[in-house]
Amino acid sequence: MKYAYYPGCVAKSSAHELYDSTARVAEKLGIELVELVAASCCGAGVINEGDPFLNVVLNARTFAMAENMDLDILTICSTCQGVMRQVKWQLDNDPGLAAKTNEALAKINMRYKGRVKIKHLLWTLIEDYGLSKLEPQVVKPLKGLKVASFYGCYLLRPAEALQFEDQEEPASLERLITILGGEPVHYEGETKCCGFPILFVQRETAFEMAGNYLNNAKQKGADFMVTPCPLCHLSLDTYQMKSSKKIQANINLPVMHLSQMVGLAVGVEPEKLGFSKHMVSMEKVLRVL
Amino acid sequence: METQEAVFRILRFNPERDEKPHYQTFQVKIDSRMTVLDALENIKHEQDSSLTFRRSCRSGICGSCAMKINRLAKLACKARVKTEADKHGEILVEPMENMPPIRDLVADMGEFWREIERGNPWLVWDESLAGSIKENLLTNQQQQISGKLADCIMCGACFSDCVSRVFDKNFNGPASLAKIHRFVTDPRDKEGVKRVHGLVEMGLWSCTHCYFCWSQCPRDVRPVSAISELRVLSYNSLDPSQGARHVGAFKNSVESSGMLNEATLYLKTMRWNTLRDLGLVLKMATKGKAPSPFPRPIPKIDEVRALFRVAKEIREK
Repeated sequence: MKYAYYPGCVAKSSAHELYDSTARVAEKLGIELVELVAASCCGAGVINEGDPFLNVVLNARTFAMAENMDLDILTICSTCQGVMRQVKWQLDNDPGLAAKTNEALAKINMRYKGRVKIKHLLWTLIEDYGLSKLEPQVVKPLKGLKVASFYGCYLLRPAEALQFEDQEEPASLERLITILGGEPVHYEGETKCCGFPILFVQRETAFEMAGNYLNNAKQKGADFMVTPCPLCHLSLDTYQMKSSKKIQANINLPVMHLSQMVGLAVGVEPEKLGFSKHMVSMEKVLRVL
Repeated sequence: METQEAVFRILRFNPERDEKPHYQTFQVKIDSRMTVLDALENIKHEQDSSLTFRRSCRSGICGSCAMKINRLAKLACKARVKTEADKHGEILVEPMENMPPIRDLVADMGEFWREIERGNPWLVWDESLAGSIKENLLTNQQQQISGKLADCIMCGACFSDCVSRVFDKNFNGPASLAKIHRFVTDPRDKEGVKRVHGLVEMGLWSCTHCYFCWSQCPRDVRPVSAISELRVLSYNSLDPSQGARHVGAFKNSVESSGMLNEATLYLKTMRWNTLRDLGLVLKMATKGKAPSPFPRPIPKIDEVRALFRVAKEIREK
C-alpha cells in the first residue's frame, strides 16, 4: 500500500504529535507514505470565503501532483479531507470549472485529470488495509477502556461529496475501536461541530460547544475521546481548559488522535506517540494499559 | 405487500397536564411505502387521538410537518418508516430543536420567523427599472443563480439542526441568510449587494460549516453554501470584522509560505485579544506545541504564488 501523503498544516505545526504518530503507525503496518512536500494548504474552507476559485486551483494543484505520482491521496485531517473531496466533487461535476482550472494550472505546467482519490486514514484502514488484517496486529488491546468517538463534520457531511458512510448512523470509528479491543461509548454530540471553525471569531460559542460535547462523553463514562481531525483536537484538547471554565465543569477528558489510538494498540511505545504534547494528561489511560 | 411492526417512541407534552415532556411508545404495522407522517396519522386515528402534529400537503411542498426523526430534522411526509426502522431500529420522533415546544410534536416557530424577518426577505423595488415594460423578468441565467435559494419552503429543518444557533441566539440562522442571498443576487433588488453590510451583526461569521443545514434541507437549498458566498461578498466589500480579518490573514499566510501559519493567523485575527490566551500559549510553548511564526516556505512556492496571481486576475475581470 502506497499513498501520496497529505498531512495538512496543523499536523506539521501545533499538532506535530499527529504527524509523528502517523509515521510510526504507517511503519508498523507497512503503509508507504510519500509526502507531498510541495503541496500547499487546502485552505480549510477559509480561503473559499475569500476567493472560491483560488480554493479550487490550489487543491487541484495538489491533486495533479498526486496524479503525476500515480498515487491516491491519504490525509490525516478531516478538514483537509472534507475540503479536498468537495473541490474534487465540484471539478468532476462541472466541466466548465474543470476547464477553467486546467487553464490556470497550465500556467505552472500542471493538469488535473480527475483520476485521483482522496481518503482519510480512517477510511484507508477500513477499506484498503482492512480491519481483518489489522485485528491480528493488535498486541496491546485497549481492554477496559471506554472510548468516545468524535466524528465531527467533515468525515460525514456533505454526503454528496464524501460518500463513505451514513451520516446519521456512522460506525467506522466504533468498528475500529472494537477491533482494537476498546469499548465504544455513544453520547450526544459525536457528529456535531467541535467549534474550531469559529474559535477565532465567536470563541465563547466555540468553548460552549466543545465543553458540552466533551462533558456529555465524560458523563457516559468515556475514559478518553478519539478524533480523526487535528483541528477538532485543538478545540477538544488544547482549549479544553477554557471550555471547562465556560460550562463550569471539571471535564478533564483526554483526547487522542486516531493514529495515536491505533499506534497504542499495535504496540508502538507510548513515549513515541507524542502524548506529552497534549494539554490534558493521558496518564490515567496509559495506566490502564 | 409485506408488513411488519415498527416501534415509535414519541415525545409527548401537554402543557395543561404535563410538568415536562415524556416519551410514549406505540407499535404500528408498517409496509415499505409508509411514511412517518402516515404512521403518525395511523397512531392518531387508531391509538391516541390526542397526538398533536402539524401537517398539510403530504408531498414535501408545504414544509408543515418538519420534526426530529431519529434526532435529525426531516419532513415526516418524506421520511420512510422502513428506512428509519432499518437504520435505527426504533423510530424516535420529537419536535424540532432551537424552538420551544408547544404541544407534542408542534414547536413554536416564532423565533424562526423573527430571524427570517430580520433579514428583510422581500424585493426592494428599484424604480429606475420601471419604464414602459409591464414585467421585469429574470433571464434564465439570472434565475439559475437564485433559483436554488428560492426553493426554500420555510420548514425550519435547517434552523432546528443548526449547531451554532443552539449556543448563539444572535446568529440568525441558515434559512434567513439563504433568503438574504436570494435577494442579494436578484438584479431587480435595489439593495442588492449592499444587503451584506448589515450581516455581521446578524452573525454572518457565526456559522461553523457543520453542514447540517445542507444535509437536512428537504429541498436541497444548501444554506451553508449561500453563507459562504455572502462571506465572499462581505470580505470583498472591505468588511472590517474579525471574521473577514481571519479570511485575509489566512490567504496572506498561504500566499507567503504555502502553508497556514497558525501563529500569524492567530495574531492578525485576534489582535489585542491574544492577551486573553497568554497563559495558554505559554503552556503550549512548554509542551513544544506552540507554532512557529516563521515557517519555511514550501518547495515550489512560486507555483502557489502564480496561482494566487491567476485567481486575482480572474476575480478582477
